[in-house]
Amino acid sequence: MDELSGYLFVGAVLFVCGVICMTTKRNGIGVLMGVELVLNGANLNFVAFSRFSPLGLDGQVVALFVIVLAAAEAAVALAIALNFYNNHQTIDVDRGNELSG
Amino acid sequence: MAIITWRFEYKEIWRAMSLSPTLLLSVIIFLPALGALILMIFDKKAVETMRGFALAVTAITFVLTLLLLGHFNPSDPGLQPVFEVTGDELKLVQNYEVQDDGSIALSDRVISAAAIQRGVKLEWIPGWNINYQLAYDGISVPLLLLTSFISVLAMLASWSINKLHKGYLILFLLLETGMLGVFLALDFFLFYVFWEVMLLPMYFLIGIWGGPRREYAAIKFFLYTLAGSVLMLIAILMFYFGSANEALGVAATFDLTELANIGQGNVAAITFSETTQIVAFILLFIGFAIKVPTFPFHTWLPDAHVEAPTPISMILAGVLLKMGGYGIIRIAFPLCPVGAAYAAHTLVAIGAISIIYGAFAALAQTDFKRLVAYSSVSHMGYVLLGIGVWKINESTGAAIGRDYWLMGMNGAMFQMLAHGVSSAGMFFMVGVIYDRVHHRDLNQFGGLAGIMPYYSGLAAGIFFAGLGLPGLCGFIGEVFVVLSAWNFSKLLAIIAAGGVILTAGYILWTLQRVYLGPEYKGPHKDELLSNPFNGREASVAVILLIFAVVLGVYPEIMFGLMRESMASLVESLDAGYQNAVDSAMTIKTTLK
Amino acid sequence: MEDLGKQLSTLLMVAWLLPFFGFCIEVFGGYFKWRLTKTAAYIAVGCIGVGFLCSVVAFMQWGNATDWVVFESHEGEHHVSADHDEAAKSHDEHGAKHDEHAKEHEHGEEHADEHGEKAEGAHDSHGGHAKPAVQTAFSGQIYHLARFGELDISIDYYIDSLTLGMFMMVTLIATCIHVFAIGYMSDELTESYEDHFVHTSDGGHFKRPGRFYRFFSYMSLFCFSMLGLVLAGNIFQVFVFWELVGICSFLLIGFYVERKSASTAANKAFIVNRVGDFGFIIGLMILWTSCGTFRFDNYEDHHGHEQPGLFQMVRGNDGHVTQDGDAVVLKDVHGEPLTDASGSTKTIPYMLLVAAGLGVFCGCVGKSAQFPLQTWLPDAMEGPTPVSALVHSATMVAAGVYLAGRFFPMFLPEVLLTIAYVGCVTLFVAATIAVVATDIKRVLAYSTISQLGYMMLGIGVGGWGAGLFHLITHAFFKSLMFLCSGSVIHGCHHEQEMPKMGGLWKKMPVTAFTMLVGVIAIAGLAIPGTSIAFSGYHSKDAIVATALQFVDDNPVHILLFIVPLVTAGITAFYMFRLWFYTFAGQPRDAHVYEGCHESPSVMCGPLLVLAPFAAWCAIGGEHGKLFSILALSEPASTEVVHASHDIHTAAGSFALVAAILGTLTAYLLYGKTIVDPANIKRQFSGLHTFLVEKWRFDELYDVMFVRPSHVVGKWCAGVDKYIFDEFLHGVVRTGIRVSQWDRKFDEGIIDGLVNLVGNVTFSIGRSLHVFQTGNIRQYVMFIAVGVLMLFALLFAFSFAILA
Repeated sequence: MDELSGYLFVGAVLFVCGVICMTTKRNGIGVLMGVELVLNGANLNFVAFSRFSPLGLDGQVVALFVIVLAAAEAAVALAIALNFYNNHQTIDVDRGNELSG
Repeated sequence: MAIITWRFEYKEIWRAMSLSPTLLLSVIIFLPALGALILMIFDKKAVETMRGFALAVTAITFVLTLLLLGHFNPSDPGLQPVFEVTGDELKLVQNYEVQDDGSIALSDRVISAAAIQRGVKLEWIPGWNINYQLAYDGISVPLLLLTSFISVLAMLASWSINKLHKGYLILFLLLETGMLGVFLALDFFLFYVFWEVMLLPMYFLIGIWGGPRREYAAIKFFLYTLAGSVLMLIAILMFYFGSANEALGVAATFDLTELANIGQGNVAAITFSETTQIVAFILLFIGFAIKVPTFPFHTWLPDAHVEAPTPISMILAGVLLKMGGYGIIRIAFPLCPVGAAYAAHTLVAIGAISIIYGAFAALAQTDFKRLVAYSSVSHMGYVLLGIGVWKINESTGAAIGRDYWLMGMNGAMFQMLAHGVSSAGMFFMVGVIYDRVHHRDLNQFGGLAGIMPYYSGLAAGIFFAGLGLPGLCGFIGEVFVVLSAWNFSKLLAIIAAGGVILTAGYILWTLQRVYLGPEYKGPHKDELLSNPFNGREASVAVILLIFAVVLGVYPEIMFGLMRESMASLVESLDAGYQNAVDSAMTIKTTLK
Repeated sequence: MEDLGKQLSTLLMVAWLLPFFGFCIEVFGGYFKWRLTKTAAYIAVGCIGVGFLCSVVAFMQWGNATDWVVFESHEGEHHVSADHDEAAKSHDEHGAKHDEHAKEHEHGEEHADEHGEKAEGAHDSHGGHAKPAVQTAFSGQIYHLARFGELDISIDYYIDSLTLGMFMMVTLIATCIHVFAIGYMSDELTESYEDHFVHTSDGGHFKRPGRFYRFFSYMSLFCFSMLGLVLAGNIFQVFVFWELVGICSFLLIGFYVERKSASTAANKAFIVNRVGDFGFIIGLMILWTSCGTFRFDNYEDHHGHEQPGLFQMVRGNDGHVTQDGDAVVLKDVHGEPLTDASGSTKTIPYMLLVAAGLGVFCGCVGKSAQFPLQTWLPDAMEGPTPVSALVHSATMVAAGVYLAGRFFPMFLPEVLLTIAYVGCVTLFVAATIAVVATDIKRVLAYSTISQLGYMMLGIGVGGWGAGLFHLITHAFFKSLMFLCSGSVIHGCHHEQEMPKMGGLWKKMPVTAFTMLVGVIAIAGLAIPGTSIAFSGYHSKDAIVATALQFVDDNPVHILLFIVPLVTAGITAFYMFRLWFYTFAGQPRDAHVYEGCHESPSVMCGPLLVLAPFAAWCAIGGEHGKLFSILALSEPASTEVVHASHDIHTAAGSFALVAAILGTLTAYLLYGKTIVDPANIKRQFSGLHTFLVEKWRFDELYDVMFVRPSHVVGKWCAGVDKYIFDEFLHGVVRTGIRVSQWDRKFDEGIIDGLVNLVGNVTFSIGRSLHVFQTGNIRQYVMFIAVGVLMLFALLFAFSFAILA
């Protein structure tokens, strides 16, 4: 097993954990955390590919974008969560199904 | 446009009053339309003022047509006004005569025909070579006079209209513009435009101010006439595209005189082929025959007349029907002499059938107005008969007994004028009685001679004019046409002559049922008694009767106007057909 | 001679136009203050009276200027001619004087009559009809109607002795009748005239304002039209006035417009006349197309060349018709064949010329009520009696005979034979009906038809002079008899049925006497062996003699002699029957008899004026003045027949015997009543009914023409309504249906396709909505599962490709 696969393996574990977290957590904050995990798993892959390919710093740059976007997304998501709480007195995402078709 | 100056070599009195003929023609046409525009700003409640104004407009138009008559030179067979072209300047020529060799003499100078421009011509849509082109000659002047004259009388009869006065008067004046335009236009496209302009006001006048079945009648009228217009439009396009010759650099034209020259084979290298002429003639003929109307295109007429208000019936019978005849004489014949010669026999036959058929149908009517309408069909049959009696020697193409054809043509024209007077009078007389008793059932009249003697006397006079009594206008037209017909076809002449018996039958029977007898049998007798024949109505009837007598006793008054133009038309058609036969012979011999 | 033509035409035109001016004033009579006075009548009488004086003056001038060639050619004695000159002059003076006193014209007439008689004695021989060297006929143009190329139609005049004679006769009789009508129509001079023949719906009699003025305006218009007809210089103009007299007849027959029978009779008269005119027009068409002119006489065209008139074209200078194969050669003014522009001879097919003659004769048949168009005349008696006297016996109906005479040169032998047979049938049919008629006016009407038949027969067998001779004499005695009957009707308060009269001789002696004069005249009685004879004897004798001459030449046409001879007896019978019925015997209806009275002098006067004319106007027979005047105009035609002396004597005796037999029978049956006529009626009831029903012509024509034309009219109207209109409606309906289909296509197919796309999209969305639960965790699950599946597919494909 070379070094890249290790990174990829860790990234995949992180990603899967994030996804499982997103699907299983009913707490909105928990879901957000799952999202963070997925993003970071992906970031790890970007950095790893960047490190082990002749692409230069592209991967790192993308990773930085993702981090910034994650921060922004977290801010927005937390605001949504607060509003959600104001309206529903809970942050159980299963209770928020108003957008169902 | 070149500067136009004019001078009058005679009748100094006109000078002070006259407009330039160029202007005069346009003023005649558009004055009623202008009047209609001005009427729009009137208060709709000022009914009497509006009527008076509209009457004044029609009267002024009539005076203007009389002025035009003053300009008209009856000894000149061609179109007028005539301009002498000298550089950029156009001069109006009044005194000149046509010499034997075809050149035209002006005082002591001789100007070649090329330097003469006949008619007013202004560019309108240059891209299509469409011009605003107006002219008059011995064929249009009498009809022009008739139009403006009948319009005045119909306007006088319009006092019986009792709703939406403003709209009525506006449409009436627009209609007059259309009618006058048709008789003056010399550009085929312009002619078509005026033809259609006349159609719409008529549709509304029948459809809004008419009787109980007015919508039906209006739509029937519209459909028939529109069908005719479409056929005419096809013919117009055939002529237009046929008149161009790119190799020679000759542009296509709508000019009726040029098209006639081509049709008569007077233009080198451009001709309308025999097939074109025949097809175009048939299209044009159907278009005009619907307007005349002749059997079998006549069934719109009774309905339109029955439903139309009295003044519109007068216009319809007095002027509109004449446009069909005018179209045939002015357009269908000159543009396609070969087609005309080809169809002459059919024309005469249709004319004879119309005479008899209309008379028989009139005999069976119980509606007074319908009866008069059918009498129009019968009387207009004479027009077609007279126009068509062109007997041709098949081998040379020359006309046999051309003077008889000339007589028929003149008789047909006269019959149109006579019918314009007599039928307008008859419809007016029916209207007078309808305004009082509100019905037209012939079996419910009687005794009017005792109740309204003055009216009945005038009515009898006008109906006698329709019957063709000598000394009244109907006789001259009918008998001249019939006399000219024997030369063409003995059988058809006899059939046409049979009309005199039937005409006497239905008119006298009608007179008996309506005017004679001891008592009025129908409803509204009280209104008949309380509402005597008034001065306005009497003046219309008296004027018409006087004209009927004048035309009947001294027909030369009209023949004198149209004689030269008719003679030259007949001559040119004869020559045109001979040209066609000659060229066909040449082709045959070359082929051999 | 030019001047004479001008003078004559001026005089006659004054006579012609004066009644027209009279008409123009009188027709507005209802608007004048004098509407209930006799002013209108005075105007009318003045106009026609002056017209009569003008005619007489014209005749005198014509006689003077032509040196009385009219009589001279027979007399050959200059002193007589000079005598005439003086007489003429004195008459001129009289004429001038009477211009001022138009009302006293009767004197003028009597004077003219005396003048005629005085000269009578000088007559003894009747020479041939050689044309005198002096110009006696004048023609010219009054004004143009129209000109088309070389064709030219104008209003002309043609004046010869026939024209002059007709003018004098018409104006004289018209004057008398106008005067008579002043009395006869005087009950119209009221604001409330009660018409006993018309019942209103409330059961009473109809009342209306009187129409005295209107009667005279129509009469004036009629005089104008009639004189125009006589003056006409071309056949077209004859046609014009032909129609005008027709319409005057229409107006006068229908004078009592309230009476249905009157207006129907008026319509019938005009329409039946139009049937004749239909033929007339065809004749005109043929002549116009073949000859190119309508003028009788030669004329100057607008180039100033002399052109031949119709008579010259056909007859040339010598009266012969030149034939070229089946065609008749037309001749120019010199009698040479006429050539057209290309140099070929102008001809007209023989049969076409026959057709033209028959056509013109058709017009005469209508106007003169000849078989088969005779049915209108008896009905025309619906008009006031003076109308019957003037229009329907003396003048208008004679116009047909006049035209047949005027147009004689154009008639080929075939046409003349037709004319003769038509006249022959007519005179017999009408006479038989007259025998059974009981209405006094109808008897006279049928006798008129019968006498017109005589005239036609006379012309048809070539007796040009005889026919027109009878025209003039008949005009006098028939107008006299009609006026007498008018006097009777007036006296008996509008009772016209003879069975209700009888014995009126005592009550109205003047009427009875003048009527007797007329009856003797028409019966043609004379005292054998002497020259004492009434006018009818001379003229009828002339006709019968010509017929006998004709039959002598063409024995196959024997009927043309037998029938008129027999009918002469019948004529005498029914005329005397009328007289005995009315005036002789015992009164049959006391009521009528009691109320009866002699007419006022204004009515008796004209009777007394006319009576001598009726008796003696033809004095001298074919050697007399009247005949000579007419004979001068005899056309140069080879068809003219003159009876030889022997034949004349024979025919005269036969006719006289027939007349006397008829008279005797009438006397025995109705005067003496040796056999009751009612018995005879019963014996022959079938025949009687047949005759009373006028040979059933009315019914026949009703079935043959009137009803069919109404049916055809209904057909035509039906064709319009059910074929043309239905066709149009069908077209429109089809159009509407097409547009309905179009709408369906639009709505169903085009719109449907668009909607389908929308609907499908919508329904797909609708069915997918179950996946949109709104549950975030599920969405994540979907994504995860989806990614896994994508990977799985990817792998599967990549393995498949690698494999």
